Amino acid sequence: MTKMKKASQICQSKLPDNTALKQQQLPAYRLQLSATGVLSGFFATGAFCLGVGIILILSAKSIKEIEIKYTKICANCAELREDAINFDKECTCSIPFYLSETMQGNVYLYYKLYGFYQNLYRYILSRSNSQLVGTDLKDVGNCAPFSKSHNGTPIAPCGAIANSIFNDTIILSYNLNSSIHMEVPMLRSGITWWTDKYVKFRNPTAINLSSAFTGTAKPPFWSKSVYELDLEDTENNGFLNDDFIVWMRTAAFPTFKKLYRRLNRVQYFIEGLPAGNYSFNITYNFPVTRFKGEKSVVLSTLTWSGGSSLFLGLAYTVTGAVTWLAAFSMMAIHLMLKEKRTLFIER
Amino acid sequence: MFCSKKKSLEVERIVKANDREHNEKFQYADNCIHTSKYNILTFLPINLFEQFQRVANAYFLFLLILQLIPEISSLTWFTTMVPLVLVITMTAVKDATDDYFRHKSDNQVNNRLSEVLIDSKLQNEKWMNVKVGDIVKLENNQFVAADLLLLSSSEPHGLCYIETAELDGETNLKVRHALSVTSELGADISRLAKFDGTVVCEAPNNKLDKFTGVLSWKDSKHSLNNEKIILRGCILRNTSWCFGMVIFAGPDTKLMQNSGKTKFKRTSIDRLMNTLVLWIFGFLVCMGVILAIGNSIWENQVGDKFRTFLFWNEGEKNSVFSGFLTFWSYIIILNTVVPISLYVSMEVIRLGHSYFINWDRKMYYPEKATPAEARTTTLNEELGQIEYIFSDKTGTLTENIMTFKKCSINGKIYGEADDGMGQKTDMTKKNEPVDFAVNPQADRTCQFSDHRLMESIKLGDSKVYEFLRVLALCHTVMSEENSAGQLIYQVQSPDEGALVTAARNLGFIFKSRTSETITIEELGTLVTYQLLAFLDFNNIRKRMSVIVRNPEGQIKLYSKGADTILFEKLHPSNEDLLTLTTDHLSEFAGEGLRTLAIAYRDLDDKYFKEWHKMLEDANTLIDERDERVAGLYEEIERDLMLLGATAVEDKLQEGVIETVTNLSLANIKIWVLTGDKQETAINIGYACNMLTDDMNDVFIISGNTAVEVREELRKAKENLFEQNRSFSNGHVVFEKQQLELDSVVEETITGDYALIINGHSLTVYDQWFITLFNIVYTSLPVLAMGIFDQDVDDQNSMDYPQLYEPGQLNLLFNKRKFFICMAHGIYTSLALFFIPYGAFYNVAGDDGQHVADYQSFAVTMATSLVIVVSVQIALDTSYWTVINHVFIWGSVATYFSILFTMHSNGIFGIFPNQFPFVGNARHSLAQKCIWLVILLTTVASVMPVVAFRFLKVDLCPALSDQIRRRQKAQKKAKPSRSRRPQTRRSSSRRSGYAFAHQEGYGELITSGKNMRAKNPPPTPGLEKTLYNSTSWIENLCKKTTDTVSSFSLDKTVKL
Repeated sequence: MTKMKKASQICQSKLPDNTALKQQQLPAYRLQLSATGVLSGFFATGAFCLGVGIILILSAKSIKEIEIKYTKICANCAELREDAINFDKECTCSIPFYLSETMQGNVYLYYKLYGFYQNLYRYILSRSNSQLVGTDLKDVGNCAPFSKSHNGTPIAPCGAIANSIFNDTIILSYNLNSSIHMEVPMLRSGITWWTDKYVKFRNPTAINLSSAFTGTAKPPFWSKSVYELDLEDTENNGFLNDDFIVWMRTAAFPTFKKLYRRLNRVQYFIEGLPAGNYSFNITYNFPVTRFKGEKSVVLSTLTWSGGSSLFLGLAYTVTGAVTWLAAFSMMAIHLMLKEKRTLFIER
Repeated sequence: MFCSKKKSLEVERIVKANDREHNEKFQYADNCIHTSKYNILTFLPINLFEQFQRVANAYFLFLLILQLIPEISSLTWFTTMVPLVLVITMTAVKDATDDYFRHKSDNQVNNRLSEVLIDSKLQNEKWMNVKVGDIVKLENNQFVAADLLLLSSSEPHGLCYIETAELDGETNLKVRHALSVTSELGADISRLAKFDGTVVCEAPNNKLDKFTGVLSWKDSKHSLNNEKIILRGCILRNTSWCFGMVIFAGPDTKLMQNSGKTKFKRTSIDRLMNTLVLWIFGFLVCMGVILAIGNSIWENQVGDKFRTFLFWNEGEKNSVFSGFLTFWSYIIILNTVVPISLYVSMEVIRLGHSYFINWDRKMYYPEKATPAEARTTTLNEELGQIEYIFSDKTGTLTENIMTFKKCSINGKIYGEADDGMGQKTDMTKKNEPVDFAVNPQADRTCQFSDHRLMESIKLGDSKVYEFLRVLALCHTVMSEENSAGQLIYQVQSPDEGALVTAARNLGFIFKSRTSETITIEELGTLVTYQLLAFLDFNNIRKRMSVIVRNPEGQIKLYSKGADTILFEKLHPSNEDLLTLTTDHLSEFAGEGLRTLAIAYRDLDDKYFKEWHKMLEDANTLIDERDERVAGLYEEIERDLMLLGATAVEDKLQEGVIETVTNLSLANIKIWVLTGDKQETAINIGYACNMLTDDMNDVFIISGNTAVEVREELRKAKENLFEQNRSFSNGHVVFEKQQLELDSVVEETITGDYALIINGHSLTVYDQWFITLFNIVYTSLPVLAMGIFDQDVDDQNSMDYPQLYEPGQLNLLFNKRKFFICMAHGIYTSLALFFIPYGAFYNVAGDDGQHVADYQSFAVTMATSLVIVVSVQIALDTSYWTVINHVFIWGSVATYFSILFTMHSNGIFGIFPNQFPFVGNARHSLAQKCIWLVILLTTVASVMPVVAFRFLKVDLCPALSDQIRRRQKAQKKAKPSRSRRPQTRRSSSRRSGYAFAHQEGYGELITSGKNMRAKNPPPTPGLEKTLYNSTSWIENLCKKTTDTVSSFSLDKTVKL
């Protein structure tokens, strides 16, 4: 009797558990590509894409943008910079232009480089984040070949990125009339990410910056030390210099623009940039002809989606159109085959 | 526990019994076995060595080494290190557990006790301490500890019975007999202890059926063969004890010699994957070359001038050298194109599937309390691609329990009732079985009967008597009484057992036999027949006869055998009866019963004497003895008088018919290799729908030698165009295999796909992203889908066996599919790259800042990729369980949480150099245009896939699509199942001589070897007797190790 019981217990224990998981009976939803579902999905997606595309195109059109390539305009400066010996010779260049329409709202000033491969693998790596965060100035880990100066002192900021910083000065002046030329007020703040300015880049702690950077050398291409980047604003020096931070955020493509200044909307410029005569006064330092690159300055307004180009709008429109096209042809095929298919199922 | 190892190569083995010192000189292996691979010290080196022999791991290692070269290294070392370490650790843990269990089982086996004769005393000794030359005592139902020379046994003439199921899978008992000189030793311990024979024999080898050696004892030599050897792994049966001398021990035993290294079995998907991986590798190298050339050109054209920004020294490197380095860098960067981690995912999925097989209640066999067991995890998906099932035995199909069902005696059918309407119905269904209570020795397990037969017996129908007499006399069954005084039959073939038991139940009880007599009880009176000759069964004769002299002095030849053979031997006067019996036989055979014809002949005293003399003469001949004897048998077995026929049912196992039907519907070809009689085999083939009447060409391949068989197969192949179906059986039931197959396959595709995308665009990704992508972000949903996906539910997959075909045809995962996936992957990667590229080109963010920086671009692409892959997997998952939900949503959520963690200020503060993406997720993902890009990328990559699929389902729906559609429709309607009505063939007689029987037992009987010396005289009026078919059932139960059973699921699974 007990034996029987035991045997049955053993049987019991060998019987797999009747749980939904083990019996593959978990409640499940079966995904089914039903004709109505797919087709309506396609139509909806198409409509959505077309809508977004058109909105994007319209808003891209509303953007006002001026770009002036100045490599050729300032050919003499460009020529001068081709030879590294002339590094201490200053070269300025003035580029007048006429703004036919007012640029409403916030206006942003960018510099744009063509053919500068900031996305080179070895270039991107050539920096030291732990140096830039101010904890260890001597940490020049990945910076080769710009890690140490000739006499062995560590370079701060080290690396190829820092060394090749864009060092032109661009000043926009507004010619109200032939006699009054005023400098357009520009803000250099708010051009960096908050995390860059307050987390990723820190100056070494010391009484003053110059003493903080003692024992380091300036990058070979630089004419000034890192703590003398902005003579007007002492806070804007060292690793916390906004232009420096912007440059250090390397671009993904060889043609890129970086934010240089924002329009300070005061006085004449409270509405934006009024139409009229302007000129860019550029101190030409950054050589680009050596690698057959070009430089330009860009003035641009923004829309809700940022400074969007036409591409995204067009891409959306095309996708939407193709989706609709596909939906129509799928529907045609489906209807054509419907009869055939019902026959098939019946069989 | 260490086992000593033998080094030198052995040419011949010399063993002296009871002399350990002598035998130690030869350093033979002792009886300790170890199947384990490692111990604690050797585990690490050996296991690592083994693991790095695998291509995948070696590839990883190679990458790791490449990455340590700073000039080349394009990814940090942890991108390779983390997955490699993970894989290696996982495998190592698995190997270690496996080996631990091997250690445990070794330990258990080595510590089994057996009785060994040490110092003239029987002592319990652990198996591992048994030495060559020891004398070991075995008891009934014990496992044999080592390869033994049988010395003596409890049975007369030193016979013993062994079951060799563990060795060769055969469940019938085999006889071993000791040399007569040693069998005299009996159980006399003192004499056994003094036994000092020396055996000189072959060196250890793996031939299970061969043994040659010589025993020298007491100045005489006796040759030894396989008949005197009991191998390790056998079980002693029907023998209460025996003594044996250890010849081979431990690793030298034939069992262990046979268990070589297990070969790693590869599935066809594995092979395909290996090819594809090689192709991908080739593709990778091509890409590397192209990119390297591109790099050289770029360096030459652009980079040269640009170099001042990067290097102090201009022209430090020339462009060709740079290209060369770039090649290796790209090999590293694109390494994930090669779907190495796919192997790991496959392993995990297979493991999951094997658990599902083990857990499946529908594959549980309650009668034996056995759940299905997937013994290997490597071959699961192959279950979905089976084309042929080979079976070695007819007995696999049947229960191997024979029951006497019907008989035809003198032209009358017994065993079924005539209800007067001219329709015959099965007796057992309508009427109560005949009450055998009148017969105290009846075996209750036997179900037969027909009251009319009992009437006939009561009426004293002489033909019926004669018929039953044949059943009771003409056989090789041995009888014995157990301790309770019950009569027990030891049967060689269950068919015979059924017949003898039937006779017993009908009042003709076989009681005992000696070499010269057979005693039966005929309706209460003991009658002893003199056994004059025993015309044994063999494959050619297909019949067996006995010649007996009854108490009245008449000499009779009783014969039973295959109808086809026996009918040719009949006396012409039988013609009428013959036609009638033939009809009956057809009827029996039509019901799938195994039939035998029964006949007798009255022999003239003088004629028999002459014949007997000739037989004796023939037996003394050396040349042509067998031919002469056969001729004489032929001579006397003629002019037979037909008595009737028997019909024994060997029931098909439950569900066999349905299984076979389903298998053939699923286009699985079934082959049976059988030692059975052709008729039986054909019969069973018909019985289980394997053969049907509408098959024009049925080829039964029979041949006795390999050459013959090959020749016949060739002929058959020429003749068969369409139905190349020989026949037979299979009990492998595939219940959810289609589902599993599909899911594995889909998984593979998605896996590839994910990796391809990954590989194509990953230069721009965060290093951590690359490291984690396969492991965390997308592997779990893929795994979940691979494990849990079902394209069709189990009920439907059983109802539509045709679903199986795509698997066989490799439609689900083949090279074409692979290239479609590749193309899809390439398209997706292009979309993933160029849409963000175009959108970011010359664009500023909504705060005027740039969005086109390298890090934002990376984050955008990675996010797009994760979302695209998740959507893709979501679309591929046709069966959404909770787990799928958790894994798919979970992996997206995990991606974002990991992204934000790795881009957080805190982690940057700790490791500024390792996590340079600080703040990126926060800023990038706050941009509207980035989300627009992600959305567009997803739409653009997913829409074509959906359209393609929709059109595929619409234009050329696969069966599974249709079924799925119907399944959905059925959900509302009441689920109903329709079974195909079973059609049984009605005509075409196939009869079979139904002996699963070995030749040579007649000789054992007539020589009296297998008789007990003191056979107790039959005592009349025994209480209940038991038919010893139990040993057969037992054997059947023990048949757990099927040699081909890598997927030996349950025997009978309800369909």
